[in-house]
Amino acid sequence: MAAGLRAVRRWALAAAAPPRLAFTRSAFVAKKESNAQPNWLGVGLAFGTSAALWAFLLKEHDGDVMEYERRRQAKGHHKCTECS
Amino acid sequence: MAFLPDESRSLPPPPLLNKGSVWLGFVGWLSALADNAFNQRPVFRAGVHRQVLLASLGFFIGYQLVKRAEYVHAKVDRELFEYIRHHPVDFQSPTG
Repeated sequence: MAAGLRAVRRWALAAAAPPRLAFTRSAFVAKKESNAQPNWLGVGLAFGTSAALWAFLLKEHDGDVMEYERRRQAKGHHKCTECS
Repeated sequence: MAFLPDESRSLPPPPLLNKGSVWLGFVGWLSALADNAFNQRPVFRAGVHRQVLLASLGFFIGYQLVKRAEYVHAKVDRELFEYIRHHPVDFQSPTG
């Protein structure tokens, strides 16, 4: 019984050993790259993509408004009389 | 199955500033701030280009999602009213 307990203790101690570095990459580990110099390519791409997104969105919204108005005119202002 | 079928353009388009676009834009901005925090940068002053990009992306996705939601709701309403129109017996107002 004592030998069995000693074996369990040995196993518990071995399991308590610090795990290998590959399995415990923390989110807070320090990285090599520095944030001191701006990554101008990334900045340009980010602002450029944002500008393109906004341009597309505004164009799409204006197109939707015009298309809706056009279809309203074409439909002749609610010719269906049976629905509410 | 299109994300926004052509008949969705017969609906009045939602305003640019709507619940979905504003909220998702805010969420995008928050995720940029969280990225700053996780990388131990100043939360608000760092990566403004990242904040702008993620906020714009969130705003854009929110707007598209709201358009799709309004289309789906309008479609269901149309089918509901068509059903009511075809089954008037089931929808009499109660007498007495």
